[in-house]
Amino acid sequence: MRGSRKSTSAIFEGMSWSDARDLLRLWREDNERKSQDVVNLWETILSKNIFKLGDERLLVLEQVCLASLDTNRLDIADKCLQSLAAEFPSSLRVRKLQALKLETLEKYDEALELLDSIIKRDETNAAPRKRRVAILRAKGKHSEAIKELTDYLKKFMSDQEGWQELCDLYLLEQDYARAAFCMEELILHNPHNHLIHQRYADIRYTQGGFENIELARAHYSLAFKLNPSSIRALYGIFLCATNIAVSPKATSPKRKEATKLANWVIKELSKRQERQNVEDSQVAALEGLISSVQLAASA
Amino acid sequence: MAELLLDSQIRVWVFLPIVVITFLVGVVRHYVSILLASQKKVELQQVQDSQVMIRSHKLRENGKYIPKQSFLMRRHFFNNEETGYFKTQKRAAVSQNPMTDPSMMTDMLKGNVTNVLPMIMIGGWINWMFSGFVTTKVPFPLTLRFKPMLQRGIELVSLDAAWVSSASWYFLNVFGLRSIYTLVLGENNAADQTRHMQDQMSGAAMAMPPDPKAAFKAEWEALEICDHHWALTNIENDLMGLSAPTADSMYHQNKMD
Repeated sequence: MRGSRKSTSAIFEGMSWSDARDLLRLWREDNERKSQDVVNLWETILSKNIFKLGDERLLVLEQVCLASLDTNRLDIADKCLQSLAAEFPSSLRVRKLQALKLETLEKYDEALELLDSIIKRDETNAAPRKRRVAILRAKGKHSEAIKELTDYLKKFMSDQEGWQELCDLYLLEQDYARAAFCMEELILHNPHNHLIHQRYADIRYTQGGFENIELARAHYSLAFKLNPSSIRALYGIFLCATNIAVSPKATSPKRKEATKLANWVIKELSKRQERQNVEDSQVAALEGLISSVQLAASA
Repeated sequence: MAELLLDSQIRVWVFLPIVVITFLVGVVRHYVSILLASQKKVELQQVQDSQVMIRSHKLRENGKYIPKQSFLMRRHFFNNEETGYFKTQKRAAVSQNPMTDPSMMTDMLKGNVTNVLPMIMIGGWINWMFSGFVTTKVPFPLTLRFKPMLQRGIELVSLDAAWVSSASWYFLNVFGLRSIYTLVLGENNAADQTRHMQDQMSGAAMAMPPDPKAAFKAEWEALEICDHHWALTNIENDLMGLSAPTADSMYHQNKMD
């Protein structure tokens, strides 16, 4: 990780400011976090050329401010915040950044006050409400965070991020039934994401009980169908199937079916293992070839 | 017919000024409309309504991927006779008359100030200032029917239809500078006259704001008749069938469906 970081900052050295701008724009549009890289780019290239950016300067400042808060570079964040506040003295977006800075400094109460004032000014603004939940979570008050988040979700019902966070919080509190509800909501929003199905199955499997495990089996299967390279889903199917096969509640045809499924999964897994072995041996053979070529070249 | 030769002074004092004036007026209108534009204030209630609609729509669309129990639970939340969301949330019917809404009135006034007034004033002024010039000629022959379009202000029977009068040149500019504006002011600028014309044409149909009460009722009905067919009923067999598709098992599955 550290090695790759160093090499990226080495790449940044030779970049022109317009390339750096384009890269930052790409990250902004794709919602990529890459805070360390953003800060590096800012320090090596863009901070000297800030006025060449025109109006985009302000967007870049916002992005850099967030990134520097992420990486605890308060000196950069302060500079960005100052120039942004000078440009837009009454902007809610700048105020949100200020609240974020307070959060970084762990002055949670002041941050909450600031966020409240933003919500008062613009009731439809979702971001400060979510920040409130994040603050509560950072303070470790999970049950309060859950309460706040459910209030939020009553108003913004189709916010996927919110449902995901609520699911996480319920899992922390080990309230699996409610966490499963939140995952179902996510499934409704994107039914073809295998990770969501897999997680839902994980939750159902953890919940235990015959029906839940059957459900988990179905969702593991769907996850595997959506992404045939997912070994975790395969193991999930296997665990559920063996569980059903030995369950006293299962009827005998169901048991038979589960045994069949478990056998199929084992076969599938060993097939994959073999393929992996073959690939490995092929790679080894290639490596041997290359070294012999090098030997021949040096000789 | 003898070929017409235009004075080069017409080019300098009529042809080019009209282009420049229309262009500059468009730019000024763009900035004035930015200045006058009022931020549409969205109510929390509206946001909530739209999000509820999205959620219920998703439930109808993708409900087959969650267990029946969960589907029924959600439908109960929306549609229950006593406690359902669509039943308990009462929204006032939106007033049908836009005149009663003062913000609507100011919006319309602003639209008129930035669009219709300059159009009339500048158009009238150009007509008066540069009236009666033949400014240019289109490089292809045209039929007589184009005469009223291209030769406004010059009623000469003997003039070839390919010649363009000053007033018509102004109108060609008003409607033809769109791509130049996009180049100078960026996409979605307010200088473009044609867009406003289209807005006014379709304005009567789309000025009506969406009525949450009616939308809720429609969604309630749609959800009420929505049935739950679990999509994962046979998925394990499906998986195993995919790995080893024998003709026999496929036939069997089809019969099950």
